[in-house]
Amino acid sequence: MTLCEKMYPSNHKTVFVLDHTPYFGISCECLIEFDFTKSRGPAFIPLAPISKSLWTCSVEAAIEYCRIVWDLFPQGKLIRFVVSDTTAHTLNTWSPSEQNLSHVLAELSTMGIPARTHQQGEFSVIHGLRAAIEALCECSDIQHEKRTSLTENASKVLNRCRVICITSARDNNSMKSLKEIFQNVLIQHNKIAAGSDHLITVHHCHLVIINVYPNNVESQVTSHPPRDLSAILTTEVHSVKAGGQIASKLSNLILNHYDLGSTTVTGIPMKEEQNASSSANYDVEIFHSSAAHTSILKGNAADSALIRTQREGADYETVTLKWCTPRGCSASEMQNCIAMHRITPVDVNSRPSSCLINFLLNGRSVMLEMPRKAGGKMISHLLAAHGGEIFVHTLVTARSVLEDPPSISEGCGGRVTDYRITDFGALMQNNKLVPLKRKFDDSDTETPLSRMRSRLDRHTRYWPITISSTFIFNLKNYIDPLPALLVKEEMTDEEVVQCKQVIYSLINLETKHEPLQMPNMGQRGKGPKREEQYRIMWSELETFLRANCRTDQHNRVLNCLLECRNKSDDEKIKLEKKDDKVELDQALRELDQFGKFSEASPSEYVPRASVIRATTDSPMSPPPMSITTPPSVPSRSSLLRSGPIAGGSIYSGPRTVLDIWISRTSAEQRSRDLRQEFAGRLNGEATAGGGSIAKLYPNLKDGDRGGREMHLDGDGADVIPPASASRLSTV
Amino acid sequence: MPTVIVIDVSLSMTRPVFIPETGETYNRQHLAVCGINVLLDYLAIHSKLEFVSLIAFSSLYEIVSPFTRDFDALKLKLQQLEEYDKTCIETALHGVNRLVLGEWGSTTPCQVVLVTDGSPGVGPMSLKYSLNTLNQRDASSPFPLPFSFPGKLSIICIASMDEPGLQLGLPLYHRLVELAGSDSAVLVPEGPLSMKSIQTMFQKLSEANFASFQGMLKCGNLGSQIILSPSPQPFCKSNDFESVKRSISDSIEVCGFIDVADVGSPMAISRHLVLPHPTGKVEGISAGVKVEVDSEDESVVDEGRIPSFCVLLHGALKVENMAALCLLAEDWFGFVYSWADSKKKSNLMLTILEPGSNVVPWLGDLNRLGSLDDFHSMNQEIEIEPSFPVRPLEKRSYSQNCVVWIRQAGLQSDIQKILRHARKLPEKTQQFYKELNRVRRAAISFGFIELLDGLAAIFERECTLLPGGAHPDCALQLTHAAGVLHKPYSRDVKQNITPLRTKFINND
Repeated sequence: MTLCEKMYPSNHKTVFVLDHTPYFGISCECLIEFDFTKSRGPAFIPLAPISKSLWTCSVEAAIEYCRIVWDLFPQGKLIRFVVSDTTAHTLNTWSPSEQNLSHVLAELSTMGIPARTHQQGEFSVIHGLRAAIEALCECSDIQHEKRTSLTENASKVLNRCRVICITSARDNNSMKSLKEIFQNVLIQHNKIAAGSDHLITVHHCHLVIINVYPNNVESQVTSHPPRDLSAILTTEVHSVKAGGQIASKLSNLILNHYDLGSTTVTGIPMKEEQNASSSANYDVEIFHSSAAHTSILKGNAADSALIRTQREGADYETVTLKWCTPRGCSASEMQNCIAMHRITPVDVNSRPSSCLINFLLNGRSVMLEMPRKAGGKMISHLLAAHGGEIFVHTLVTARSVLEDPPSISEGCGGRVTDYRITDFGALMQNNKLVPLKRKFDDSDTETPLSRMRSRLDRHTRYWPITISSTFIFNLKNYIDPLPALLVKEEMTDEEVVQCKQVIYSLINLETKHEPLQMPNMGQRGKGPKREEQYRIMWSELETFLRANCRTDQHNRVLNCLLECRNKSDDEKIKLEKKDDKVELDQALRELDQFGKFSEASPSEYVPRASVIRATTDSPMSPPPMSITTPPSVPSRSSLLRSGPIAGGSIYSGPRTVLDIWISRTSAEQRSRDLRQEFAGRLNGEATAGGGSIAKLYPNLKDGDRGGREMHLDGDGADVIPPASASRLSTV
Repeated sequence: MPTVIVIDVSLSMTRPVFIPETGETYNRQHLAVCGINVLLDYLAIHSKLEFVSLIAFSSLYEIVSPFTRDFDALKLKLQQLEEYDKTCIETALHGVNRLVLGEWGSTTPCQVVLVTDGSPGVGPMSLKYSLNTLNQRDASSPFPLPFSFPGKLSIICIASMDEPGLQLGLPLYHRLVELAGSDSAVLVPEGPLSMKSIQTMFQKLSEANFASFQGMLKCGNLGSQIILSPSPQPFCKSNDFESVKRSISDSIEVCGFIDVADVGSPMAISRHLVLPHPTGKVEGISAGVKVEVDSEDESVVDEGRIPSFCVLLHGALKVENMAALCLLAEDWFGFVYSWADSKKKSNLMLTILEPGSNVVPWLGDLNRLGSLDDFHSMNQEIEIEPSFPVRPLEKRSYSQNCVVWIRQAGLQSDIQKILRHARKLPEKTQQFYKELNRVRRAAISFGFIELLDGLAAIFERECTLLPGGAHPDCALQLTHAAGVLHKPYSRDVKQNITPLRTKFINND
């Protein structure tokens, strides 16, 4: 087949021309034994047998042709019907909405049987052939689209098509003149089409004439195979008896016209109606694109000879494959399928066919196996229904190039054992695809799938892939539902409140000095110390929030976190430096402050990143750039350098000079942590020199307070009561 | 992609070549073997999973080594080649077809590297003769090109450009690669023949045809450098109204996830192992705070211990039994899923679909897939949640009870069905009239009016044959139906025959 034949196949447009002249009203003289009821007694008078007319025989054969084509090719293979008597009746157009059996059958029922006697007007099939050529000059949707497209191929669209005419001619001479008339009309119409904007000339037409005659006569017309009458017209003639032969001739031709193959599924076990306990084996023949056989027929010649047989009562070959239902091999797995094609049963209403069809339509699948000359057999095909359509899947029968692959555990990252597989599974369930049809406007520039991609982008904005590279995602019982809410495109007020509540409750826990329990990490020995836990948790949470800061609402959550966390710093600053100076000074002081932590508040050695931001930024401002210390949103490049993937643990953290200095001093601090800090140190008023002044025995003033309560007061200065925190954040 | 190396061992390959630089003399076969070693070394580094086979030919051919991944064994076999008679390329190509079809079938793409000395042979088995008799073949033994499998032919000439023999052979070789199609090519060393020029030529061949596919598998901000094995080939196909030639991009992006059962084994143009790339230093494009490998650690880093997104994805796909829909290039998709061969080694697999978004009918337009959240945000009204499979607008003939009377049995079973219902009247009144109208409508469409009268006759006769204990409604409905079938209006497809209202079916 040449490239041009492949790109512009003749089967794209087919016109059936049905002869509806009075001659077709006569009986085909093939009697149908009508009395199927078994004889019941001597008084039984059998009914007279009936016979189809030539018209009925041609209609049902043409309809069967369409049934097969449209079952196998729901789109792109167009068929039109023209009925010819005193004039041409065109039953449908090239429009996809009229390319189905119910439309054609409904139109046919309005045609009725051919007129019995010659009335006025000239009965002829020529009217129909003329109308068929006109129809061929009309563009199908895709031809129109390609011709008007602005690509270089637009002018190259070839209009190759086929006309199947079922008629009856007296002898070879009248058949010859019929073909000549057709050729002349074709040339005429091509001239008209060439001068028209919306019509397309016929580049090549394949005229198939089925000459029909009643079963009791001999036809004077001889059949001949395809012959080129001219460069644009190829004709062939088949002379057949009306009763039974038109349909079998057409189903032979259809294999050629659409490049179909026949498979006989053999050994289908079926229960007998009479004897339900036993089952007999049946065969069902199906049609499908011949490409489904390519891989098995092209291989071993001896094997393919074994499965090819001549179809009984037909002049084509069928490939016989055996029904098999192996365990552990089904359509619900990813089979190695190299081709799939729709199928249709050849005898759609027979009991074995409908049995197989229903078996498949009910969701089960059937494997087909072929025997091998060398002995043994192999599974070559899979029959399965998807959405009410049945397909034959061609499976790979040859050796696989992917044989003996390495296991994924042998490759890169294969020895890491703490991937967050359950969490990623949840992410997958959360990002499952469903068909969204017709709700989206076609003019919509953003397809649902591209929305899906941005959704995945959101969901993975901050997503450490191992358990040891994250802390907050191991604290689900504390931070849920915050992560799920924050990856949303938009957040409602209610959802913001929910997130804030998560933050408050964490603050609350920290206040109570409760260690964070990590169910996932129980086996990993002792985790970090409590203070360290909170430090890591807060900084990672902040990173997560910053990564997901996409709307004002998201910003509100981040701000809530920043404000809450910096509250204590704020207070300390106020304590240390009563004189509240301009912010610039404050920034400088903040830097100083790190050095003073050990003295000012020994229990607080965690670097505070964003004092300034938290107190000055409004929720409306864009997410700030991190300038001072981590935690911060890692820039893309820094991530590339030190992503979580790099294999270390979260707990090792990127270390700044500050971190190192802090950790040096922290040992010292921790020893001090063991005892309670002096109330005076915590409550003292800061002096300009950096020290502080505290009143001695403050309890003496409030005479009714006990020493124990004073002690609690001292503790309390270090924390933010949840109530005040929430007030702050709503400012 | 399996590779067949076809080496010429005819006598002309033993012609000596004097190499001026070193003052040494080699024969052409030495040079060829040396060049093939360059190719094998390249494969050993870049495509360890490749299968290579070796055929030696003169007037006959011999499979020196069947397909193997043991490149060292191949090198050893190359050392042991002997010299035979004259060059016959057609025989060798037949041998290639037979070998590949027997091993990989007709759908696996393969590379064929033909190494010869630039003299196309003489006499009736020469290449010239083969090409001249191209049109005189019968269908049973066609010319071996194009190959019976998707194959690419590289013809390597161990000859320098200025040799007169090559000048004769070259046009014939070009004709061969033209017949082979699929970007086949002829390679000739640049400059005079030498070890170096041969090695350079083979290095070029390796880089052009055997480079492994390196790219990125991404899912949002997560990702991993990957290698696809075997390398995906360009897709070429002529469909109705279009001819396509495309290659996938080097960035494979996950667009969402589907249950494997819903994916349902669609047709794939090829399948590839997705292997995390060992040198992929830039693996984590995603976020994350913290980790910084100490510089001293980096040098001794164990690749197996560096977390890879591929492994995570594989684990989760396997546990959830899902597949990831991936975008491979514009409007071209594939599925990534966990796959295990018969042994228990499981791996990440990429199945490449045909280009286009409407390639799997039961998944619908792939560009129209989205999240349930999107569905809910668009559908205020309560509607059933969409799910797979997507059903076509029209039912196929086999699922809509269509009428076919081409074989008599079809007509018989339809009539018998009506009669079965008739005998069980009045319980089966609805079914009786439903079937009757179905047959009547079909008869009208087919212009089979004789059947309507025939049916009426059958009904009338059936009345007379009713057993004594039959329900009185049987006779009433049968007589009614027969009467209507005789009336002209029953020939109108729009009219339905409705049940006779009798006291037996109307309880009101």
